[in-house]
Amino acid sequence: MATRADISNFPATFLANIPTYFQKNARRLLAPVIALVVALALWQLFAQITQTLPGPIQVVQDTWDPLIINPFYVEGEDKGLGWQTLASLQRVAIGYSLAAVVGILVGVLIGAFPLLYEAVDPMFQVLRTVPPLAWLPIALAIFKNSGPAGIFIIFVTAIWPIVYNTAVGVQQMPQDYKNVAKVLRLSSREYFFDILLPSIVPYMFTGLKLGIGLAWLAIVAAEMLRGDTGIGFFIWNSYNSGAISEVILALIYIGIVGFLLDKLVGFLATLVSSDK
Amino acid sequence: MSFFVEVDHIDRVFELPNGGQYIALKNIDLKIRQGEFVSLIGHSGCGKSTLLNILAGLDRPTNGGVVLEGREVTQPGPDRMVVFQNYSLLPWLTVQQNIELAVNKVMKNLPKAERDSIVDHHINLVGLRHAVHKKPKELSGGMKQRVAIARALAIRPKLLLLDEPLGALDALTRGNLQEQLTQICEESQITCVMVTHDVDEALLLSDRIVMMTNGPEAQIGQILDVPFPHPRKRLEVVNHPSYYALRNEIVYFLNQQKRDKKRKSKKVAAIARHGLEKVNLDIGFVPLTDCAPLVVAKEMGFFAKHGLEEVTLSREPSWKAVLEGMASKRLDAAQMVAGMPLAMTLGFGGKAPLPMVTSLVLSRNGNAITLDRDLFDQGVRSLEDFANHIKQTPDITNTLGIVHATSMHNLMLRYWLAAGGINPDQDVTLSVIPPAQMISNLIANNIAGYCAGEPWNSRAVFEGQGVIVATDLDIWAGHPEKVLGVQEEWANQHPRTYLAMVKALLEACEYCDDRRNREEILQLLCKPEYIGSAPEYTRPGFIDPYSYGMDEEPRSLLRFNQFYVDSSNYPQPSESLWILTQLARWGITPFPKNWVEILQRTHRLDVYREAAQQVGLPPSEPHRKPFQLFDEVVFNPDDPISYLNNFAIHNTIRIEEISLDSITTVAA
Repeated sequence: MATRADISNFPATFLANIPTYFQKNARRLLAPVIALVVALALWQLFAQITQTLPGPIQVVQDTWDPLIINPFYVEGEDKGLGWQTLASLQRVAIGYSLAAVVGILVGVLIGAFPLLYEAVDPMFQVLRTVPPLAWLPIALAIFKNSGPAGIFIIFVTAIWPIVYNTAVGVQQMPQDYKNVAKVLRLSSREYFFDILLPSIVPYMFTGLKLGIGLAWLAIVAAEMLRGDTGIGFFIWNSYNSGAISEVILALIYIGIVGFLLDKLVGFLATLVSSDK
Repeated sequence: MSFFVEVDHIDRVFELPNGGQYIALKNIDLKIRQGEFVSLIGHSGCGKSTLLNILAGLDRPTNGGVVLEGREVTQPGPDRMVVFQNYSLLPWLTVQQNIELAVNKVMKNLPKAERDSIVDHHINLVGLRHAVHKKPKELSGGMKQRVAIARALAIRPKLLLLDEPLGALDALTRGNLQEQLTQICEESQITCVMVTHDVDEALLLSDRIVMMTNGPEAQIGQILDVPFPHPRKRLEVVNHPSYYALRNEIVYFLNQQKRDKKRKSKKVAAIARHGLEKVNLDIGFVPLTDCAPLVVAKEMGFFAKHGLEEVTLSREPSWKAVLEGMASKRLDAAQMVAGMPLAMTLGFGGKAPLPMVTSLVLSRNGNAITLDRDLFDQGVRSLEDFANHIKQTPDITNTLGIVHATSMHNLMLRYWLAAGGINPDQDVTLSVIPPAQMISNLIANNIAGYCAGEPWNSRAVFEGQGVIVATDLDIWAGHPEKVLGVQEEWANQHPRTYLAMVKALLEACEYCDDRRNREEILQLLCKPEYIGSAPEYTRPGFIDPYSYGMDEEPRSLLRFNQFYVDSSNYPQPSESLWILTQLARWGITPFPKNWVEILQRTHRLDVYREAAQQVGLPPSEPHRKPFQLFDEVVFNPDDPISYLNNFAIHNTIRIEEISLDSITTVAA
């Protein structure tokens, strides 16, 4: 509350606060840094002993120009990691959005109608355990093209946690809310938007968070097998050209992007349901 | 008169997964007037929440129906808003939004400005202006429930249903909210039905309290009218003269239900032994000095001597409890005030006639009329003074306590007042209060005096709270006071047990009147399971000289507690006939045209005769000698109706033929 009050002299106070912030959180900030340094040192040591993998220093040297300093360079077919990531993200965005919309709808339906739940649950449970890559041949057979096939794989991977968490949310909805809706004689539309949807938000977002992680896992694998753009394709391509340093850099990219996606969905969840 | 809500013979049967049935509610019939506040009270599982849900339309009865303003309730609707126990606020909405949601949905056709003002008004009503933008998780339980109440009231329901609204709150918050709820309900004049566990809450809020029996097949056990004036304030309500009597009645009901539950879990069968039909008897008594014969019969082994080896004396909180215990057959027999078996046989308090019999008078005399010490200080020392006092202070209502409508205390107090020119139904108010609560009501100035048995008069004298203006020796010396009552059906089914019981008590009565035994009996009476009061309160009249508390020398009243001498135990029909005239004089029961038949049927003189003969006591015979009370008006047992018609002060007198022919009780 205090910070909101003196927002007028924001830059000055912000800057003045930085040193104290570091002082206060020294331990919290320092520990990961030390761990990172130790890990890098071990990796360097491992690389020097075994001579199989490039060490961290080697990786930076190999990829500094142009991959690290310019993620968005284009040289004919050769594109920077930024572009590759964006290409992957685009697929994820489309496939995941579809999965979210369809997943929530299906989840609400099977949550609201026990008969439907009992009917489809065994089938869903079987389909759910099929690994993403196993879908690839089928996706290719349907779409004849690696782009839509990738989107399909994301969809089919991300949808299950969304469906099931939403369904649980609907099933777990307190009887009280239903009673309130009944006593107020809400129409089904009003019931859906004013009572049901808000009450399942926390469950929905649990599903969405799980879904985004799975989607990101799936896309990289799919692109590696069959692709012409995307970060998975980039890894496979680099491996084929023997550029292990590039593969390692791409891995770091993938990790960071996955982490950020997870945080993004988490952040959206807090925006929508600030009370939970 | 048409009712606002009619619950018409509702049953609710749940189908169990194993194919069986659970009958939660059985034949619930309840009518609610507009603006009335009704509480449902009962133990867990008595189906009170089910009933509330049926009223709300959230559940449907299996049989019967609910009618609200002439239309049957088939589904939930905003005209019957519910305040749920766990508030049921939507957690993603603020206080204001929660109320707005209800108002906007229910009052769609009002202009927005008007809806906003309704929301605002109700937020202010429950005092939550400061928290309008908070979400439920930021509120305390009490605040949440206030939001729920505001939400419910804002949509202006015809009927407000409250499901244990304050049950989850701490005592302090609950108290505050009870007061607020009282105020809100009174201001909005809304019809309410509330489910609660809390006896005091029910008393504070309700106009009527519906007490439900245990499930399965829960029914309405009893409905209590709560006469406190509106608007109510907790402190005023608590100090109302009937508060503790009503409270006791509810607590008694709930305890009885609890015992009933226990008894159902271990079904007690009659134990037959020694050629008796049943030796495990439950006999009810009220803690008073004159319960001595029962205590002596048990403690000194008279019951055991006659084969009744497993007698339980059940201490009852009031005469009403005795009456209900007998009617429900919870008790096999009971010490009763003399008018009670007669009134029950004639049909008392709106109940159907229930034939009762008596073969034994347990005690005579033993009562006194106590007046507040303040009245004594103002110069009231006699009936005449009291009559003058009432005439001089017409704006003060003097309330007098009696223990039961059918008791000798009531009849003799009324007779005494009427003889002094005081109309007991107009010049004073008579209020039924259990004997043990007389003194606390006297101290609280709820009553100006009372007529009760000992030790409750001497105790007021001891504590300097009251003086005794008359004992029954001054009014009608030697009147029958307590009798042994059993249901006629029971007497027919257990003839040998009944005889054994009368014999045991007859001997116990004889033992009680031997003054050498009195000290020992006193020790027994003062045990906590019997009267439990200090011996010094019980001594006057029973052993020691009796003090009226008027700063005079205590008098020796040897017949104050009369248990045996002068054929005390013989249930003289002519005395009962006098009681019948008085019950009729005050409109308590009609006077039976067929009084001869009624007296024959209620007085099992043959059992007395046989018992007396077997224990070697002289038999007695009925007589029809005229007698008179202190005012010297002669009562001729051959002409009770002209006696009855000659009273100047009386209530509406009904003289009717009471037909008991249709009620045949099965002989064993």
